[in-house]
Amino acid sequence: MLMRRIAYRSSMFVLAIALVVALWEGYKVVGPQDGGKLFGVSILPRANNTAMPHVWTMLSRYGRPEVRGSDTKIWSVVLSGTLFSLRLSLVGFFLGTTIGVGLAVLMSRFKVVQRGLLPYLVMSQTVPLIALAPLVVSWGGKLEIGSFIWPRWLSASILGTFLAFFPIAVGTLRGLASAPAAAVELMDSYAASWRQTLFKLRFPAAVPFMVPAFKLGASGAVVGVVVAEISTGLKGGIGRLIIEYAREATGDPAKVFTAVFGAAALGITMSGLVALSDVLLMRNRPKETSA
Amino acid sequence: MSALEVVGTSKIFNQGSPKQVDALVDVNLTVNPGEFVSLIGPSGCGKSTLLRLIANLLEPTSGSVSVNKKTAAQARLDQDYGMAFQQAGLFDWRTVSKNIELPLELKGWDKAKREARAKEMLELVKLPEFADLYPWQLSGGMQQRIAIARALAAHPPLLLMDEPFGALDEMTREYMQGELLRICGETSTTVVFVTHSIPEAVYLSNRVVVMSPRPGRITSVIEVNLGSKRNEDTRAADGFFRSITAVREALRGTHADHAAANAVRGVEDR
Ligand SMILES: Nc1ncnc2c1ncn2[C@@H]1O[C@H](COP(=O)(O)OP(=O)(O)O)[C@@H](O)[C@H]1O
Ligand SMILES: [Mg+2]
Repeated sequence: MLMRRIAYRSSMFVLAIALVVALWEGYKVVGPQDGGKLFGVSILPRANNTAMPHVWTMLSRYGRPEVRGSDTKIWSVVLSGTLFSLRLSLVGFFLGTTIGVGLAVLMSRFKVVQRGLLPYLVMSQTVPLIALAPLVVSWGGKLEIGSFIWPRWLSASILGTFLAFFPIAVGTLRGLASAPAAAVELMDSYAASWRQTLFKLRFPAAVPFMVPAFKLGASGAVVGVVVAEISTGLKGGIGRLIIEYAREATGDPAKVFTAVFGAAALGITMSGLVALSDVLLMRNRPKETSA
Repeated sequence: MSALEVVGTSKIFNQGSPKQVDALVDVNLTVNPGEFVSLIGPSGCGKSTLLRLIANLLEPTSGSVSVNKKTAAQARLDQDYGMAFQQAGLFDWRTVSKNIELPLELKGWDKAKREARAKEMLELVKLPEFADLYPWQLSGGMQQRIAIARALAAHPPLLLMDEPFGALDEMTREYMQGELLRICGETSTTVVFVTHSIPEAVYLSNRVVVMSPRPGRITSVIEVNLGSKRNEDTRAADGFFRSITAVREALRGTHADHAAANAVRGVEDR
């Protein structure tokens, strides 16, 4: 049952990739080589090999060196960049989960906190990430708590946290409030404490709301980290590789795609982890709620 | 000693505001240990409110409620009563057995003791083979039996039920009534039972408490003398119909003097 669902999801994933490849190559066959213009505005992407390299060109690029004459193959550079960003995203996601769930619990416990805090949380998400990135880096640089020195990468994780915590807080809050009044009354009739009601009723009832929120949070963490890497020029991650390789787009068009796929793999890995927890947590729930 | 005592109790919602509701006014009710008492009346007459006052889920505006000579608040802390509602209200994420163990967990029982008690309760409600299933895999009647097992798991002396069979079909409902009498007989549990159904109230109860709305109050209390051994034959007995008529007359607000004449009509009533 569990294995079947995992197998089903994986095969759908493979199918989706195959579909994208087919569309890409199909467009290269029928699309205009120098882009399509409508009323003087270019709306169709160029189908030539500089703008859209063949799928096999991009894949075979992984096997060749990063720079001419070097021994390091590009796949290992992209892989280590992706793993670097994955670590940062995981840290960002973990912090975002802690803060998001913590805030949700606080808001569900004290309605005053909810009324006072929620508008600010919503507003916080309207601040553009690009504007925030340099600020966080400079604040982090000034921070010194005892022997703890703020590492530069932590700023990138914090920006991931910034995007991750919000959907998690909102989703968890809704989930905690979704426990039916009759069930809360039942817990009251057993004189259950607030903690007991939280862990034995509210959290389990919140799971169907929390899982999709965590999915949003996971992709938020990735976006935050990659954007932070790009805008603060942090070395080592996939974001930095993308801008470096993009500069060589004319001479080596397939190169930037190797990094782009790395970023995609990063996003897929993160949501895959959440999807796995979804399958595990929801395996014994009624079918309707676990689509 | 009485199992339950409600003295001069009133409950006014939104007192002083234009939305004020006199849900209950000067209610007096004493229930003896092992007694089965039903509350019946049109909707909005305060049946659920009275049950919630007994359960200490609401505080009375005036008057007092005591369970086993304790305050209602203390009785709740001591889990002196179990509750069951119209919706079984089992937790989807717990197995049947774990659902029954919930009140025991909250009391801090250890695992072995909890599991042994859950097993015992499943025997009592005759569903021993369903321990490891999830509630949504059971029929409505089975779910309701599990809810009763959960309510009785800690062996509380008092069971409070709010239209527990209201969502079941007629056949299941009659079966459940028989089961409830058997279970409460075996465990000598005192029961306060809210229902809309006259035959149900009569079949189950030693006394039927008739209530009326605006303001919510007890208008009469009808003794049902059908003995302690009740079975399917009871539903065809003369005394059964006489009591049904008596309750119906009381619900109409008239006296049940010419009860026997209308006896047969009671069969259709739910
Ligand atoms: N929490 C509440 N706030 C305000 N009014 C309430 C509340 N609970 C019940 N009532 C009112 O009290 C009256 C009795 O309700 P209830 O006890 O649920 O009746 P019953 O169970 O007999 O149908 C109704 O008029 C209902 O609207
Ligand atoms: Mg009611």
